[in-house]
This record gives sequence, structure tokens and C-alpha cells, in this order.
Amino acid sequence: MKITKEKIGLVISIVSVSVFLLVWEMASVNRWVSPILISSPSEILREAIWMLQQPSFWNHAKISAFEFSVGFLLAMVIAIPVGVFSGWNFYFNSLVNPFISALYVTPKLTILPVIIIAFGIGVESKIVLVFLMSFFPIVMSAQKAMNTLDQSLIKAARTFTASELQIFTTIALPSTVPFLLNGIRLGMGQGLIAMVVGEMFAASAGIGFMLTNYGQNLQTGRMFVGVIVITLTGLALTYVIALVEKRFSSWKPDLH
Amino acid sequence: MADVVAGAENIKLSTRNLNIVYRNARTNTEVVALKDINLEIKDGEFVCIVGPSGCGKTTFLNTVAGLIKPSEGEIRLDDRLIDGPGADRSVVFQSPSLLPWRTVIANVTYGLELQRRLTRQTRDQAYQYIEMVGLKGFENNYPHELSGGMQQRVNLARALTVEPSLLLLDEPFSALDAQTREFMQAELLRIWRTAKKTSIFITHQIDEAIYLADRVFVFGARPGRVVDVVDVDIPRPRDLKIKRDPAFLRLVDHIWSLIEKESTKQGFDSRD
Repeated sequence: MKITKEKIGLVISIVSVSVFLLVWEMASVNRWVSPILISSPSEILREAIWMLQQPSFWNHAKISAFEFSVGFLLAMVIAIPVGVFSGWNFYFNSLVNPFISALYVTPKLTILPVIIIAFGIGVESKIVLVFLMSFFPIVMSAQKAMNTLDQSLIKAARTFTASELQIFTTIALPSTVPFLLNGIRLGMGQGLIAMVVGEMFAASAGIGFMLTNYGQNLQTGRMFVGVIVITLTGLALTYVIALVEKRFSSWKPDLH
Repeated sequence: MADVVAGAENIKLSTRNLNIVYRNARTNTEVVALKDINLEIKDGEFVCIVGPSGCGKTTFLNTVAGLIKPSEGEIRLDDRLIDGPGADRSVVFQSPSLLPWRTVIANVTYGLELQRRLTRQTRDQAYQYIEMVGLKGFENNYPHELSGGMQQRVNLARALTVEPSLLLLDEPFSALDAQTREFMQAELLRIWRTAKKTSIFITHQIDEAIYLADRVFVFGARPGRVVDVVDVDIPRPRDLKIKRDPAFLRLVDHIWSLIEKESTKQGFDSRD
């Protein structure tokens, strides 16, 4: 078997994670740190196996998944056209950009109390929060993409009598794809945070609600299961975006 | 191919009193980029334009391409007034300006697509031009997989595939290394012989201009204007070796002295 750089890297990663888990376990078993604060990997595993058999866990997961997907999809569906069009058209940009710039830097979580009052403690308020948090990275990335179009391509297209619409569809839109995927990745992270924080703040169901309850009852192991579920979701979604990226970037030079 | 009527001089492109003036709004001054350009280019001719930087040669090409509007005067192509870009001209710029997410064939058919002329027949034509520029077998490669010289071949094929009446080339080889450039010059002449397109080629390299052209227009700077038209009576097909021929070198000397005079004048201007 040939030893490649990638394989060595994989071994290093596995060793580092194993050592981390081992130290964690020892810290808990030997009571270097109170198990109430840090639980332990074996405890978390036991709790996870138990929780995955509970219908209530799947109910929480389903509600969280619903809140996140609706909010995030809504953000994509609105942010992509708004961002692309405002980057393309000066006047539309003048119309929307004051709001986008201001809201982009506003911490959206600060208006969470009002969102809860307006939309209740059910799924609606979380959808709104997820939407708000994931909207801006996507819209900004689309605008940025449009502002960095390769002018030499546009000039060449013009000599072939291209119309504005043709330049838009054949140059501008394809150019945005890598930027957009980056914005979508950032927006996804923000959306997940929004979902959890919203559920922790005021809710009656969802993974965030569930892990808050466990935390307050000092069931640290179960709380960590909730945290890990969110982490794994984030990793899985990042992986999906990476796959899409790969699909769209076969034309790019291989940077390795 | 249209038959050339014997005796008649078929004028492909003509300019009359062409003036381009830029206005600088901040300093409220005017820069005359081109002054009184009157020239005629014959059907099937290969014309090069050389001159010092700032002589307006690229401005001239962009104006013929329709990207810049004349301040005064007019340009006629096939006896039709040029007003904006048209399907009768295509341009090969210095940068290959290929769409990086499209394969070679999709780039070559891009012009046809924009002009809404992409059919089975014109697509076949595109394949023929790809073969003509020597890229057969690379149809499905992406631009980043090609060398700079190959990218410019794609650029050239894209320009030829729309079958323009006039081919405009703006320093297409200046970004290539010296050897590739020489080789591409020879290739361009081979392609030009096959495609039979009237061509205007902008360059700052005197030997490149003489090697390629039937006639060399020497431009001067400030204001940009024609200072001389040099006939190149070297028979075709031309081998790259003619660049060391005494007759060739005499032409280089002649054009070089013209440009030197222009450059020195510019130097004095800037010291004033």
C-alpha cells in the first residue's frame, strides 16, 4: 500500500480526535472535572442510543428540521434574485441597498423578543429568525459576484452584438455561482444558529428546546447529544454544498 | 466567396475625417485621440497598424469594432455606415476573454449563439474552424487546460466562426512568450490564407507588422494620426526566415525611424 500525504493526514486526524476523546473520558472518570459539567464520551454514547429510540426526540428533530428548511429555502429563494438584480441594476440597488447594508450589520438576535411577540413561540417565529439570519450572507455574496464581473468577457460579448439580457444570462449569472455557494454556506451556518437560539429562547419543541431542558435539569449527557446532532447536521449540509460546488466547478483549475 | 471584379478596387473599409476627442470633465480639457483619419482598406487585405503607445491605435480598432462612437467623421464597411457593433466584424483581443466555464467548442460557438445563428450547420462550421486553428481533439477541454497560445487560437476560431466581413485583431499575441508569438504569427498567416478575411491587426512590434501585412499604417501620437503607409512587397507565402532578409530589415529601419521621431517628440512634449 502506498503511503500518500492524504493518508498520513487522515491518520493524524484520527489520532488527535481519539486522544481528545480519551482525555475527556479520563477527566470525567477520574473526576478531574465534575461529570455534571462535561459528562463523558461513553455516557453521551449511552444517552444517544437511548434517545434515538424515543419518539419525542424524533418529534423535536422533525420540528427543528422544518423550521430550518423553510426559513433557509425562503432566504435562498428571495436573497439570490434580490442580490443578483441589485448587483446588476444600479437603480434597484439604490432602492434596496440602504436596507440590506443596515440590516446586515444589525445583530438579528436582538429583535428576537419582538419576533416572538409577533409570531408566537411556535415554528413561525423560528422560520422568521432563520430567514433573517441566513438571508444576508447570501444576498451580499450575490451582490459581490455581480460587482466583480470580468469586464473583458463583457467587452468581447458586446463585439458579438450581445444584448444586455444575453450578457446577463451568459456571463453574469454563471459568474455568480462560486460566490453564491460561498454565501449559501455562510447563510446555512447562520440559519442553524438562528434555529437553535430561537428554540432556546422561547419554544415548546425542537432540538434547541430539548437541549435547554436537559441542560437545566443537569442531564449534561443528553444535552450534549442535542449539541452533537446539530453539529452533525451542519457537517452534512456543508458536505452537500461541497458536492454541488464540485458539480459546478469542473471548469476550474485544480488547485492541488 | 465573392469573386473580385477585375480592375475595380474593392474597398472593404474606409474612414472619412475620423476624429475621436475625449473630454476630461474634471480638468475641462480635451484630448484628441485620433485626428483626421482617412484611410481605405481593400477587400482581402491584411493591414497592420503600428505606433508608439498613446497613438490611438487601439482606440481606432475599438471604433471600427463599434465600441466607441466617432466624435466626427464616419467609417464605412462594405459601404455601410458603422454604428455600433455588428455581426460583420469580430474582434480578437489581447486577452483571450474566453468563458472559463465553457468548453472550447461552447466558446467557439458563443458568438453564433449571441447572434442567434447557432444551427447544426454553423456548429459544423465551428468544428471546422477549430480544426483550422489546429485545436482538433481539444473541443471538450476547458480554457484553463490550454496554454496561452492555444487559448488565443480558440479566441481566433470564435472570431472566424461567425464569418465576419472584417477581422479585427488587437495585439493578440503580445501576452505570449517570444517563441510562441513567432509561431503564432506564421499560423495566423496560414489561417488567413485559408479563411481569406480582410484583417486589421494592431501591434507595437514592427517586425510582427511587416511580417504579417500587405500594408503597414504607422500611427503617430498626440494627436493620434497616420504618419505613413508602408507597402510590404514581400511575396507570400512568407517564411519566418524573411525576418532576417535585408529588404525586411530595411522596412524595419524605416518604420523604426518614423516611430522614434514620434516618441522623441512625445518626450519633448512631456518635458515642456
